[in-house]
Amino acid sequence: MADEKKPSAESNSPSQDLRSERDRFVKTFTRGSRLTDEFIQDYERMLDRVATLEAENANLRAQLAADRAVRDLVQQIERLEAEKSDLLSRTNRAEAITNQFTTRVQEVESEFSNLANLYVASNQLHSSLSPRGVTRRIKEVLAQLLGAERYSMYLANEDGTELVPIASEGIGGNDLAPVPIAESRLGDVLRSGEAKVEEDGDPSRGDLNRPAAVIPLVVDERVVGVIAIFSTLSQKTRFDAVDFELFRLLGQQAAAALVSASLFAQAERRLPGLEAFLDLSV
Amino acid sequence: MMRQLLVFALARVKNLRVTEADDGVDGLRKLASARYDIIVTDINMPIMDGLKLVKRVRSDPIHKDTPIVIITTEGSQEDRQRALQLGANAYITKPIQAPQVIATVKELLRIE
Repeated sequence: MADEKKPSAESNSPSQDLRSERDRFVKTFTRGSRLTDEFIQDYERMLDRVATLEAENANLRAQLAADRAVRDLVQQIERLEAEKSDLLSRTNRAEAITNQFTTRVQEVESEFSNLANLYVASNQLHSSLSPRGVTRRIKEVLAQLLGAERYSMYLANEDGTELVPIASEGIGGNDLAPVPIAESRLGDVLRSGEAKVEEDGDPSRGDLNRPAAVIPLVVDERVVGVIAIFSTLSQKTRFDAVDFELFRLLGQQAAAALVSASLFAQAERRLPGLEAFLDLSV
Repeated sequence: MMRQLLVFALARVKNLRVTEADDGVDGLRKLASARYDIIVTDINMPIMDGLKLVKRVRSDPIHKDTPIVIITTEGSQEDRQRALQLGANAYITKPIQAPQVIATVKELLRIE
């Protein structure tokens, strides 16, 4: 043990220079290490920042795209609104035309109906050459086309003082007496030649004293009698335009048809010879 | 006259061909020999009235479902119900108007 030699402190310990060098190196290394750490931290912060900015950028791009899409949609909506408005306007015009057309069709149908009634009535009045047949047809026109329930047809007597009933429906025998022309409603119509129609009231509620309609019967511009409609069927509560046309038709044609049929009957249903038509000077 | 007016009105319905009958018996005779799409009849007819005709038609296997329009002067609710109970499909009261006949027939035949 005594032989072991202790290293001298002078030979084993580094020199002062080396120590100083080592200390500088350690300091430098430590600073470098600290700087490296700081760089790394900065770098990581920058990476985070880049990521954040990229995310923000992506959001902004998405928003921009969305704004553009909204703008496109708004433009599209405006275009569609304009188209809708145009279509609505065209639809309204088409509807107006359709309504006009429908109204016109209804008018034509109504006109047709009126003409059909008048045609049938006229045809009926002249389809018989017997007084009884003509009377029956006049009654049919009154009942079926005019809806008359109680009515009577009168002709003036020769001296022009009374209206004598020649046909009737729905009226009792006692009420079928001749009517004086002077101072009676029926006589007024005979004298004036003007039909008298209760336009305001319900014709189904008329009676013998207040007939719903009185129509003058004319032959060759002479009033020879009247038709009095005392009341109509319960469902016939007013006279329409076509009824007034039928009144006019009856007034102008019923008596003429009746007179023709009577003359034909008086002639024992013999047709006039050709000579009857030769001197017409037409 | 009523028949003439009806023929006039029915001629306005597109593709409708009208066959006329003098009374209920004549009507049944015509119904026996052909098939018809619709029957329009007056209640007041000689020999066989419209109501009897409706009854007979409804017992006929061929025409039991054929629409029937009945025309009459009677406007009361009871008469209307009687005609409908017997099997009529529609009821028109006199005085008849062509548009009403046309509309009724078109409705029963489902024509626009």
